[in-house]
Amino acid sequence: MNGTIFDKLKILAESAKYDVSCSSSGVGRRNNGTIGSSDAAGICHTWSADGRCISLLKVLFTNNCVFNCEYCVNRRCADVPRASFEPEELAQLTIEFYRRNYIEGLFLSSAVEISPDFTAERILECLRLLRRKYGFAGYIHAKIIPGVSPELVHAIGLEADRLSVNIEMPTSKSLELFVPQKKPKEIFRPMRQITNSLIERNALKGPGSMFRGQDVNSPENYLTPGSGMLSADSRQLRENQNCSEGSEEGVKAIVRRHPRKEVFAPAGQTTQMIIGAGGETDHQILTTTENLYHTFKMKRVYYSAYVPVVSSPILPDAGTPPPLAREHRLYQADWLLRFYGFSVSELVDDAHPDLDPEVDPKVTWALRHMDQFPVEVNKAPMDMLLRIPGVGNVSARRIMRQRKVASVKYDDLRKMGVVLKRAKHFLTCSGKYYGGNRFLPEVIKEQLLEADDGVQLSMFDTADSRKAVTGNDRLSL
Amino acid sequence: MTDYLYDGTFEGLLTCIHFHYYNGKASGIYVRNEYQPSMLQPYLEVETDTNKADIVYEAITKKISSYDLRRIYRVFKSDDAEKEKKILDYVRLGFRLGGKISMMHGNPAVFEIQRIDKKVGNEVHRLKGLIRFSELDGGVLYSSIEPDHDIVEFLAHHFCDRYKNEPFIIHDIKRSKALVAYGGDWYVTHFTKEKVSGISADEQKYRDLWKQYFEDIAIKERINPRCQKNLMPARYWKHLTEMQ
Repeated sequence: MNGTIFDKLKILAESAKYDVSCSSSGVGRRNNGTIGSSDAAGICHTWSADGRCISLLKVLFTNNCVFNCEYCVNRRCADVPRASFEPEELAQLTIEFYRRNYIEGLFLSSAVEISPDFTAERILECLRLLRRKYGFAGYIHAKIIPGVSPELVHAIGLEADRLSVNIEMPTSKSLELFVPQKKPKEIFRPMRQITNSLIERNALKGPGSMFRGQDVNSPENYLTPGSGMLSADSRQLRENQNCSEGSEEGVKAIVRRHPRKEVFAPAGQTTQMIIGAGGETDHQILTTTENLYHTFKMKRVYYSAYVPVVSSPILPDAGTPPPLAREHRLYQADWLLRFYGFSVSELVDDAHPDLDPEVDPKVTWALRHMDQFPVEVNKAPMDMLLRIPGVGNVSARRIMRQRKVASVKYDDLRKMGVVLKRAKHFLTCSGKYYGGNRFLPEVIKEQLLEADDGVQLSMFDTADSRKAVTGNDRLSL
Repeated sequence: MTDYLYDGTFEGLLTCIHFHYYNGKASGIYVRNEYQPSMLQPYLEVETDTNKADIVYEAITKKISSYDLRRIYRVFKSDDAEKEKKILDYVRLGFRLGGKISMMHGNPAVFEIQRIDKKVGNEVHRLKGLIRFSELDGGVLYSSIEPDHDIVEFLAHHFCDRYKNEPFIIHDIKRSKALVAYGGDWYVTHFTKEKVSGISADEQKYRDLWKQYFEDIAIKERINPRCQKNLMPARYWKHLTEMQ
């Protein structure tokens, strides 16, 4: 327990590495303390050997845990070395790393030592030291442990930039199975509290451009107890949201607080769930994601491909490769939800419960809706441009910009950043179509796969995931 | 058609643009020391004239936009071999079309400037993360870099705000210059490695802690060196503490 700082950092970084989020984005702040600032776009400082960016010093405060979550390396009955930081020790380490520009800030998570409140108080002490004693104005992401009292959540929110509560599992069934000590109610209560605190400050922003043009800080979005049940059915969720448990007066008047005087988690809240431990379909996972975005207006939902670290009769065997390709497709779908105006029902349904491993979700959608294509780039509205595979937010905006001063020609599209390899099958430029001569979904899919072969998988270079994505015997060709 | 040679300063380039309009068209603009004369191509050494440079500077701001002026300056700081000619083409087009020029994404002259501007901007953003400071004896933070483009001054705003109470030096080894800053003030000066003193007592400990952390945080089951290299090109590794 009383090891050197080297031992502690080793044990507590080792345990924290399965937390996904490392983003330092979402809040732009000049240096209002002694040291530090925050860049709205976030800054990555290095990339570890697994290709994930390191932006924050990601550690657990302690890995002494009273919980016994099935999938977790630090569960109570696991035989692993244990350590805890002292608040002062961790604050100083953060500052010294920060001075050398190793990191953008601190990501502090923790196991549950003694009780949730005990642990949260220690975390709070560390964050207060950083902010007040050292005048740290950099980024802090704090994880809220389920079961922490509302007062402590509030106090931590006043110090941190971003808060997250892990939902852990995509359905309540697998939550019950794998995480017996965390109750859905205990997970949703702090989530709701964070969203409400942000609404009180008129500071809720919502995920991506999902709620563009809508007032997410209006009283209708204020969450009352009983809303946000973990369910695979969005209709059921809305019903839950409407019937406020016990209190029949409905939405209370919001007590507005001045956001300047008391900044609460300005970068919003996120959550993460484990993919591939239980038997969920992509449909269930994405529906839960959409519910989280609609109900709590979270900034992000992260997915973590399950790495078998513990052996358990109900979990995948050790040695099973983590489902990286599936994780990638889920993130692509997640982006379509947040930035491209798609809804989950368009991407997956009961007939297609999983995302297509061969092509990305946007292409899959386009191939199922050939009646809406090809799209004329010189006439289509922004939301339709965004639905063309190979056209992103930046290139769509550039098309709109250029259209004000000149017509867009086919050669211009490449210069604007459109991926013509995909896009040419789905658009026309001043009436001319540049794809092949057969406008059929099967034919186009075949052409896309041929064009992608060998290039597509630069992100997952291992033989296993290569097979997982292409799936068929294309490899042997 | 003459090749104009200038002294490598931004004012010199602006003077050449002035010459292009008032002393005959330029076939190309080059830095004097790097120019290779040829028998067939006449050339003229343009003496930098701050008045003429000011006129062009003002004209770009008024007739095109201040955004485009800043953009041209960033391109000027790039290492592109033909940046001067590309800037001239952009300015000429800009004087004809005005402020809307940056929206003409399909135009070859605009595209080139947009592409180079993006490369410079990307490197600035990348270095905000990839710079590693070492604490020297006496508490000064020192960092050495070898960027593709001449960008130390573009880093000043970010780091001066972040480390407003720390003296620091960002040393561009390739160009023997450094950004020296303290308390929000900064200047760029000629700088060589000999001026750097030894590291402080605690420095090695934090380097080791960081290296160890860097090793530990990678998930063994997901190791993917190609992805790592894509995101963090190997040419930057030389100056990264964790890659030593």
